[in-house]
Amino acid sequence: MNGTWLLARRNLARNRVRLLVSVGGVALALSLTLALDAIYAGVANQLTAYIDRAGADVWVSQAGVRNLHMVASWLPDSVTEEVRAVDGVAEATPILYSTDTIAAGDERAVAYVIGLPPGAGMGGPWKVSEGAARPGRAEVIVDRGFARKAGVGLGDPVTILGGEARIVGLSEGTASLVNSVAFVSFEDFRSMRGDASVVSYVLVRIASDASPEGIAAEIERRVAGVTAQSSTAFSVEERRLVTDMSADVIAIMNVVGFVVGLAVVALTVYVATLARRREFGALKALGARSRFLYGVVLVQASLSVALAFLVGLAFTGLLALVVPMTGVDLELAISAASLVKVGLFAAVIAGLAAILPIRQIAGLDPAVVFRRGAAL
Amino acid sequence: MLLAWRNLFRDRTRFLLSVLGVAVSVTLILLLAGYRAGIYRQASAYLDNTPGAVVVAERGIRDFLGTTSALPPTAQEAVRRADGVERVIPVVSQFVIFERHGRKDGFFLIGYEPSAGGGPWRLIGGREPAADDEIVVDSTTARQHGIAIGDQARLLDRDATVVGLSDETTFWAGSIAFARITTLESLLRAPGLRSFLLVTPEPGTSPEALRDRLAVPGVEVLLKADVIENDRKLMARVYDAPIGLMVGIAFFVGVLVVGLVIYTATIERRREYGAVKAIGARNRTLYRIVTTQALIAAAAGAVVGVGLAYAAGAALMAWRPQFRVDIEPAAVGVVLAASLLMALLAALIPARAVARLAPAEVFRG
Repeated sequence: MNGTWLLARRNLARNRVRLLVSVGGVALALSLTLALDAIYAGVANQLTAYIDRAGADVWVSQAGVRNLHMVASWLPDSVTEEVRAVDGVAEATPILYSTDTIAAGDERAVAYVIGLPPGAGMGGPWKVSEGAARPGRAEVIVDRGFARKAGVGLGDPVTILGGEARIVGLSEGTASLVNSVAFVSFEDFRSMRGDASVVSYVLVRIASDASPEGIAAEIERRVAGVTAQSSTAFSVEERRLVTDMSADVIAIMNVVGFVVGLAVVALTVYVATLARRREFGALKALGARSRFLYGVVLVQASLSVALAFLVGLAFTGLLALVVPMTGVDLELAISAASLVKVGLFAAVIAGLAAILPIRQIAGLDPAVVFRRGAAL
Repeated sequence: MLLAWRNLFRDRTRFLLSVLGVAVSVTLILLLAGYRAGIYRQASAYLDNTPGAVVVAERGIRDFLGTTSALPPTAQEAVRRADGVERVIPVVSQFVIFERHGRKDGFFLIGYEPSAGGGPWRLIGGREPAADDEIVVDSTTARQHGIAIGDQARLLDRDATVVGLSDETTFWAGSIAFARITTLESLLRAPGLRSFLLVTPEPGTSPEALRDRLAVPGVEVLLKADVIENDRKLMARVYDAPIGLMVGIAFFVGVLVVGLVIYTATIERRREYGAVKAIGARNRTLYRIVTTQALIAAAAGAVVGVGLAYAAGAALMAWRPQFRVDIEPAAVGVVLAASLLMALLAALIPARAVARLAPAEVFRG
């Protein structure tokens, strides 16, 4: 096996351009899959930021509503009191929620608009870098990134929910690729909805000795027309929204990345074998078996693909570092599952690429080396 | 030129590989571009197929898909009474997540008044909703989830009966479903809620004039074409970065593959090139040979690639009808130009090998 390795390595190192092309091509193809997985995982992380940081143990929504993103959930006002009366509920805060456009100057952006009751213990911004943490009437707290892009600051007006509000606070960590989060007062939000006596979600903090899942089940039992989920379960549902809705796109891109990677390695290994025909012929003439030569080809393919995997990983890692610096609200998260998947892809690619030149090697005539003038 | 041709065709496998290399990347680029165009076209399906040239939305909202619009209660009457208005279609739209077989699917639920319009434009089965617990769903979605007319579907906290199947309403991330406007009012616990008004101007009034004339407090008045454009921009924010990245990678891989093949061909014909140099040929001649080879491979690859892209697009749409691939002639033109660019860039890789060649090479060994 030592001989196989040595020959394979030398063979690879001898033609650096070819190695570069082979490794570069596969690295790009693998990065395609890795980066796309990382983008969607990042989007899922961003999407659950509000759920994860709102401070609630249990979320109560309109029956059948298991998500937050872009959906509607409307419950009668009385639900808040009913939830409060459930054993094990320490605190219940109703919020109003809608996906809206906020506009300041020429900048418009999609935002989750949250209507917060006065003195709300949950559901507000978790990190305020400037100004107030709770909005009053005709006031709004917006994401710092949105304010920067729009060129506005504390005291400036924005259009939100069809009306106007003055910025009193700037929050952080409340922006994703798709939207940011803005906070207005409960009363303002309600008057925009025609003063209907409704709430969107009820955020629940539970007594210290209770389990979120148990309380959620108890709320569903005691209060009619609601769905109650622990914050963890709600977050999982929200992530599934991204994975389910992007599953087909990811599948297609996986196929594309796989095919491109395969094409590049197969081609380079094939060409490399073709170019080394004389040398392989010489080895055969010296008594080397075809099996040994296959081994060389396989090791060559595996080495290129392994190198490419590392380069691809480094490239995606670099992308994950650089992208957030560009001011785009995009996060890349490389998951272990995605690494395993792409690693498997790489192994299959190497194996298939090595099969291609087998016929050439088997059909190789040891005498080829002795033929003069054979143009190779 | 003749040398370039002969050299290229001597090893057919290699020529085929290089054509395939370009073809794969051309297919990939075209397919991605077509997919993107398809997404955009699907995105405007509802507005394209619903009458009206002017859209009235909540103040500050300028798109149809991205947000939840809620008009002031008086807006509908005010618009209806305004001069130059022929027809007003009120709609309520809400993004709803539908779960079946353990998989989440998003859809835009459109509430409309059957007497005013704004419902499904192509029903391929059943009828429009006549009662508050009836809905029309997209036929592709229905097929995939095994839903038939007469089935019950869960709509938030209540059940609805599927009474019709609509066509052309499948969407990049779900589909469009239709219900009566009163269904949405009760579902969203908002009596009298209107999200948008689609307004048709009277004959003789231009959409622009109507837009400028409609002065209703608390609303945004926009041309339908502008709303469609804004929806596109919204989607571009989400889709353009990944698709751009993939097109870039596909392009780069194409360059590498062609470059590599021509490079290998050049290296292996070193003796012949040396001979050509020894009989007095300049580097320029050799460059021309290499470039011609690259161009031939690229041209053949591009033609094969375009064909493959159409075939792959058709196959994809048959497999997953919610994906629409629209390969536009303009995109084909751009890709053909790109493949020529690929070929020229690829020719640079072996050019160095040719330039470095010593004429004496041929006499060695």
